[in-house]
Formats: sequence, C-alpha cells, structure tokens
Amino acid sequence: MATVSQSSKLGNVLWPALAWTIALVFFFPIFWLVFTSFKTDADAVKPEFLFFFTPTLENYTNMTQNYDYWRFATNSVITSSFATLFALVVGVPAAYAMAFNPSRHTKDILMWMLSTKMLPAAAVLYPMTFLTKNMLQIYDTHFLVILVLCLINLPIVIWMLFTYFKEIPKEIIEAGKMDGVNTWGEIKDILIPLAWGGIASTALLTFIFCWNEAYWTVRLTTIDAATLSTLIEGNRAPEGLFFGRLAAVSTAAVAPIVILGWFCQKQLVAGLTFGAVK
Amino acid sequence: MSNRTLPRLLQTPAVILLLIWMLVPLSMTLYFSFIRYVLNSSRRPEWMSPSLSNWRGFGNYQYVLEAKDFWFAIQNSVFIVSSILICTVVLGLGIAVLVNKSFPGRGIVRVLLISPFFVMPAVNAVLWINMILDPVLGLQGIAVGGINDTIEGLRDFPVLGAFFNLWPTFEPISFRATQTSAYAVIMMVAWQWTPFAVLIFMTSLQSEDESQKEAATLDGASAWSQFINLTVPHLARPIAIVVMIQSIFHLSLYAEIEIVSRGSGNKNLPYLIGEFTNNNIGAASATGIFAVILANIIAIFLLRMVGKSLMD
Repeated sequence: MATVSQSSKLGNVLWPALAWTIALVFFFPIFWLVFTSFKTDADAVKPEFLFFFTPTLENYTNMTQNYDYWRFATNSVITSSFATLFALVVGVPAAYAMAFNPSRHTKDILMWMLSTKMLPAAAVLYPMTFLTKNMLQIYDTHFLVILVLCLINLPIVIWMLFTYFKEIPKEIIEAGKMDGVNTWGEIKDILIPLAWGGIASTALLTFIFCWNEAYWTVRLTTIDAATLSTLIEGNRAPEGLFFGRLAAVSTAAVAPIVILGWFCQKQLVAGLTFGAVK
Repeated sequence: MSNRTLPRLLQTPAVILLLIWMLVPLSMTLYFSFIRYVLNSSRRPEWMSPSLSNWRGFGNYQYVLEAKDFWFAIQNSVFIVSSILICTVVLGLGIAVLVNKSFPGRGIVRVLLISPFFVMPAVNAVLWINMILDPVLGLQGIAVGGINDTIEGLRDFPVLGAFFNLWPTFEPISFRATQTSAYAVIMMVAWQWTPFAVLIFMTSLQSEDESQKEAATLDGASAWSQFINLTVPHLARPIAIVVMIQSIFHLSLYAEIEIVSRGSGNKNLPYLIGEFTNNNIGAASATGIFAVILANIIAIFLLRMVGKSLMD
C-alpha cells in the first residue's frame, strides 16, 4: 500500500508538471512570435537582447506604413464574413431538408458533398485561373474570393448543420406544420431559434477556415482582393532584417483567429471529422 | 407526398453549386490533359490556345510519368505525409492520455495546446523558417552559437579543457537547403497538426469505458498494458480518421513548401502542378488528374468510415 500511495503522490506532481511542460513547449513558437513583435528590427536579431530588451510598439504603429496591413485585413474580414454568411444561407435550408425530409438519396448526397471537399485544389489551378481571368473576368475580385471560400466550405457547413439539426426532435417541426406554418416559417421561427448554438458555432468555425485559407486566396488574387495569407506569403523571406515588423504583422494576422479558436474546440472535432468521432 | 417536395427542393441550390464547382474545372483539367497546350511557344503558336486539333491522347500522361520530378514529387509527398503522420499520431496519443487526467490548470493547458492549430499556414511557415530555424538569426542559430561559445570558454580550463578540446564546433543547419527543407516542413506541419490529433483523441478518450479499466487495475494490469490493450484498440477508429483526414490535407500542402524553399529539394504534386502551370498546361493537367486519383484512393476509405457513423 505504501508504495502505491507514494507513487501516486509522485504522479500527482509529475503528470501535471509534464502536461504543463508540453503545453508550454507547444505554445512557445506563438509566444516567441508575439515576444519578437515587441522588439525593434535591430534588437530582434541580436543574441544579447534575446530575452531582455526595451519593448516597443513601433512595429505595430508602423504596420500600415510597412505592409499596408489594414487593406489586407479588411479584405480578409470582408471575404471571410460574406463567405460564411453565404455558406449559411445556402447551407441552412439544405441541411434542414436533409435532416427533416430525408429521402433515399440523402446519405449519398451528403457523402458526395464531402467528396468534393477532398479533391486536391491544385488539380484545377489552371482551369480556375483561365475561367476567372480570361472568361469571366472576375480574377482578383472580392466576389471571386467570397464565392470560392463559400464553395470550399459549403460541404463542412452542411455537414455540421445536419448533425446539429438531427438532434432536434422531428415532432417539434411537425407540430409547426400542424399549426399551418409554412416551410419558410418552420426554418425562421422554429429551426433557427432552436439550433441557434449549432448555427453560431458552425459560422465561427467556417470563418476560421476562410481566414486561414492559403491556396485559392493567394492564387486567385494579386492586389485588390488579396487577403492576409497573400500578405504574409509575399513577405516570406525578409533575410532577417525585419524580424520585428514581420512578427508584428504576423501576430496581427493570427491573433483574432487563435482567440476565436479557443472558443470552438469542441465544434472543431465535429467539423473536421465530419461527425465520425464523438 | 407533395408537401415534401418544397422542403426537398431547398437542397437544390447547394447541390447545383457544388456540382458546378466540382464538374466545370475538373472537366477542363481532364480536357487539357489530353491536348497539347502551352502558354509560351514561339515555334508552335497553335499550341498556345486549347483546341481539339492539338489532341495528344495520353501523351501528356506519358510525358509526366517519364519526368524525374514527378516521381520525386510522389516519393517526397509520401515521405512528408508519413513523417507528419507518425509524429502527430504518436505525440497526439501521448499528450491526449496525459491531458485526459484532471489536474490544476487543465483548461489553460488545453487552450495552450490547441492554439497552434489556428495559426494560418503562411504565418506558421514564416515564423518557423525565420525566427526559429534560421541558422544565423533564428533561435537555432543563436542556440548553436551559444553552445559553441560555451565550449570555447571551457577549453581554457585546466584538466576539463582537455576533455572539451575533443568536442567539435557545432554547425547550425540551414533548413532552406535542398537536403533539409523537407524536414523544416515536417516540423512545422507536425507542430500545427499535433493539437488536432490531441483534440480528437481526447474527445474519443472521454467515451472510453472506465469500468473496464477499473477491472483491469483490480486484476493487477499495469498502466502500460492497460494503455496498449484497452486504450489503443478503443482509439483505433479515431486514429484511422486522423490519419486519413491528415493525409488528404497534407497531400495538398503548398504554402509551407513555397515559403521554406520555393520547392527546392522539396516538391509535392501540387507544387509540381504549380510549376508546370507556368507553361505546360497539358502536363499540369495530367499531373492534376494523378493527384485527384491519389486523393480519391484515401477519400474512399475515409468516406466509408464516415458513412457508417452518419445515420446513427
């Protein structure tokens, strides 16, 4: 008995200490990014100022001048918000139809929708450029980025909403039907209020995915509709001279999303595994 | 019957949108993969626009299959993806089991652990390759320099100095180089995706049957044998799902490869497609079709697993 209690006492200290150490190691690169953003460009590369330096906000105050940050950030906000909104506008009715009026094909349709998400984007790189640049002339427009972001996230949106809607008892919707509520009324007055939490977390997660999208947003834009991904990728190799300012603009690009992400860990599992892990 | 028609019609916009999104660009890729189509050719200007008269049959496929870069890209993709998978699954399992116990500050630990997953790929790559891995100015360079200085200093000591004289001077590794760029990508992507594995394994661990474990403890089973015989089988399905989802995502890695070395020594199929797209659209399209086939092989297994859990 003595050994058991001793080892568990030791374990009571060791396990948490180990967990904390690993967590801090994993968080360290992010910490380092934020930490570096408060150093001047000159200090950021000097070993003698590795941990002790005079913090400055100049990298943040000069962000507009150095990188035109706000233009890219505005584009990110606009494209991610509208793409999320449109995905919900198309996705909510679709998921409603599948959850409450399933047919024999509902499962196949859902699976097929998911399969579109698994196509490698690069395979259609040239056709997309060709279509949008030469034929439709919508290359480098907000409209295009919103459309593409909406389409690549639509399968996940419908899936997540479908899993949330399935939890709602059918009888509630049926009762509405008895009272003579039409389909639009069912969605607006019964479904949306009931599934508000699920819809909100779907929106949040979609917004995060849109914000972090790095393939299409970079390849289908040049200046006008370029998002933060494009900005950072365009400044990939500063040759060490601008670590401070680069760290600041990177921090500004990821901070809102990392913080949003903290609030939707649970939904992330459902959203990324398509409900296959519960 | 008819009162179901309208509700069902509500899914048509989504279906039509996704159908167009899937079919139009992909059929163009398929078409381009069978014709000669280059963007710049002073010798054969007729190849510069897509036309059926430039039909090449499987010529583009043959060209791609004979290209050294293609096989290198396939090999390298497999190497990168499997390395990332091993790192994330092993680390993910360990960390998930560790964090699954309750201890003070567990909520904060979870928040710290999950954070890397939300960093956008471009920032992830820029941060790692510059501020952490740079051989001179990054933490790696500074750390190696510090170690060398310390050894240098210790060499002057009596007795001990003789020992430290045997030590070599360490060279920092340049992760932008041809031989090492793949490792940089593996490192940064594994850092980003381990949290994903942790999160999924943790979700799954919470549904583990505790009574079975208690019985095993009473029977005197060690913690390790419980882990191997009870926890790992319980996690078999989430592991499979983590592996497949990550494979699909990592087969199309792009931003990290571009930022680390612009593909030098470290190409994958999407990167190769990008390079072909600068001129040889036929070859780019044929490579694209290969990429689609490769992704579909994995997607079929994943979809089958997802489908099983769909309707219950």
